[in-house]
Amino acid sequence: MTSMRNIFIIAVILALLVAIPPFLGLGWQNALVNVLIASLFALAFNLLIGQAGLLSFGHAAYFGVGAFATLHLMLAIEDGLVFPTPLLPLAGALAGLVVGLIAGYFSTMRSGVYFALVTLAIAELFHSLAPHLEGIFGGEAGVSSMRMPWTGFTFGSILEVYYLTLAWVVVCGLGLWAYTRTPFGRLTLALRDNEQRVRFLGYNAHSAKVIVFAVSAMVSGVAGALQAISYETTNYSLFASGVSAQVVLQTFVGGSTVFFGPVIGATIFTLFSFLVSDLTRSWVFYQGLIFVLIMLYAPTGIGGVVYHHLRHRHQIDWSKMAAPYGVAIFGGLLIAAGTVFLTETVGILFGQEYAMARQTADMGFPAFELFGVAWQPAGILTWLLPAIALAGGCFILTRARRQIDHLWAQAGKNGDETANSATDATIAGGAK
Amino acid sequence: MEFAIISTLNGVTYGLLLFMVSAGLTLIFGMMGVLNFAHASFYMLGAYIAYAVSSLFGFWTGIIVAPIVVGIIGMLVERFLLPRVHAHGHAHELLLTFGLALIIEELIKLFFGDFPVNYQMPDALRFSAFHIFGTGYPFYRMLIGAVAIIMFTVLWLLLTRTRTGIVVRAAERLPNMAEALGHNIPVVFMFVFGTGAALAGLAGAVAGAFYPTNPNMGLELGVIVFVVVVVGGLGSLKGSLVASLLIGLFSSFAVGLDWSLAGALDIVGLGDWARSIGGLMTLELSSVSATIPFALMLVILLVRPAGLLGERN
Repeated sequence: MTSMRNIFIIAVILALLVAIPPFLGLGWQNALVNVLIASLFALAFNLLIGQAGLLSFGHAAYFGVGAFATLHLMLAIEDGLVFPTPLLPLAGALAGLVVGLIAGYFSTMRSGVYFALVTLAIAELFHSLAPHLEGIFGGEAGVSSMRMPWTGFTFGSILEVYYLTLAWVVVCGLGLWAYTRTPFGRLTLALRDNEQRVRFLGYNAHSAKVIVFAVSAMVSGVAGALQAISYETTNYSLFASGVSAQVVLQTFVGGSTVFFGPVIGATIFTLFSFLVSDLTRSWVFYQGLIFVLIMLYAPTGIGGVVYHHLRHRHQIDWSKMAAPYGVAIFGGLLIAAGTVFLTETVGILFGQEYAMARQTADMGFPAFELFGVAWQPAGILTWLLPAIALAGGCFILTRARRQIDHLWAQAGKNGDETANSATDATIAGGAK
Repeated sequence: MEFAIISTLNGVTYGLLLFMVSAGLTLIFGMMGVLNFAHASFYMLGAYIAYAVSSLFGFWTGIIVAPIVVGIIGMLVERFLLPRVHAHGHAHELLLTFGLALIIEELIKLFFGDFPVNYQMPDALRFSAFHIFGTGYPFYRMLIGAVAIIMFTVLWLLLTRTRTGIVVRAAERLPNMAEALGHNIPVVFMFVFGTGAALAGLAGAVAGAFYPTNPNMGLELGVIVFVVVVVGGLGSLKGSLVASLLIGLFSSFAVGLDWSLAGALDIVGLGDWARSIGGLMTLELSSVSATIPFALMLVILLVRPAGLLGERN
């Protein structure tokens, strides 16, 4: 029953993804392409941390390798090689797989923090070597190419690129999901939970980890290939630590313990950058803040929280729960409003434009405009308003949280099992 | 000869600067096993706080205030943030500090802008220590080196020769036993973390006046301090001193050398063959100087993860 409903939900989402984009503007179509690519990259990354328990800090390497390999294939097609354009990501997959096998062989010799450091070092090697290897990575300028038409498709419009991306992301995403259901996928989970036991059962833990790493790198390569196809150019900045960092942020905000959790994080952050980066300079700050708050208060990520609620939906009395949840959301919004107000105020007061405005105002403190209202820098209201929002929000949120915890504890007593998010999270990875 | 001497001097001072920044990280990593991704951000924070304070109250006040403020921030992080994620394992601790690094960098951009600030040493310190090959060698470089050496000596004496050092080392090896003997281990950890952060802050305050102070300085040093800590050995102060000097000398010498693999193969007569391959073969050492530390870290991690002078593997 459950699986039937899951298939239905996935089908509906897919139908929406296919049907809606033609009615959207170019900007949104482009943003959706980026969402899809980021989602696939995060899913591939999460195969390592979510399934095998290996935290990689250098996944940009495989993403980048996939992108460069694809661009070189595109250049070869321009020179007359016959190759169907829709299959271009195969080049990314192959490059990711090969580099992933080599890098994976070495990095999985270590575990824990040391594994993270090896992956970091490998990515930094790529980043620092790439600008000097002009033949492969095109030096500082990078490599550029054009999408070539294939049979009836010209791949000239973003919409065609979108559908190509969608097809690849769906195939790879479902493939990764199917992978988790195979016996080897189960073994991957066992590697995360108890590696020693895996060894005692007679499996070669190291080669298993190398394979997981290579699969993850291969799909990352596909994601990189899709990015190369959509932008038609790339350079060594794709290997930068920021690219590796983004996928870590997205995966954990979305939730690494739930299979499709990273998609949530990738979607939120990509759309966030699309919508908010025009409005404020500080959007990276908000992004970091969201990440840290999620790490502190919801370590299983948004996906983990959602899954926790779905699992226990029959045990909870939603009529009692609705009020405190509403209050909590209100408190959260108050805090968010206060934070945004303060951040933007600081951004303006310490900005260059304001320094110039002060000079024209004879070093006084002229009023500044925020949200369409003029504020006095020394005015009481300017600082009292966010302070009230922050303090009030914190107060309301803490009270609501206590109430919610209480209700959950009761639900746990009434139900068959305790409502423990930590154990839930572990189950979520496997039992889904 | 001139190249060798100048490179050695620059390499040693850069190495000592690296040691200053990574000493705190060594302490924290060795003591608590927390890979603090925000460490280089503490360094940057030190430089910016020193800049802000010194523009109001003078240079030396800045140098003194910055490490104290950064140390307090470090203690707050250890006391209020890290325990919340501790139950979820080292990965989450690492991720938290990683998020903090992002926030600190963005906060600095928010307050000080996205460009370098004019943090300068006072004119009283702006003179040459000695003249070599016709050019003066700045005294301030010597000062940075001296601060690093004092830092090393004090830390080393503190850890090996005092009662505090014994408690700290006991807290690292056998926390439960130390706790049973009546030492407040959470407080010890808090102070160790605070000290580590303060050291990074001091390094930032001192070095920021000589090197550019900009919002990318944390990012630039971020990975290289890991290289130092890993190569030197988990928690080994002496190790990180050796590793810092090694990397400092490496990078200052590599900049001026045009050696390449093809050149090396010339000796056995394969130079032209190597040059026909190109790519890695013809890369000159000077252009890969940024790569060498990472390659070194990779080799150490794979061959001897305990590092050069680390005790445990």
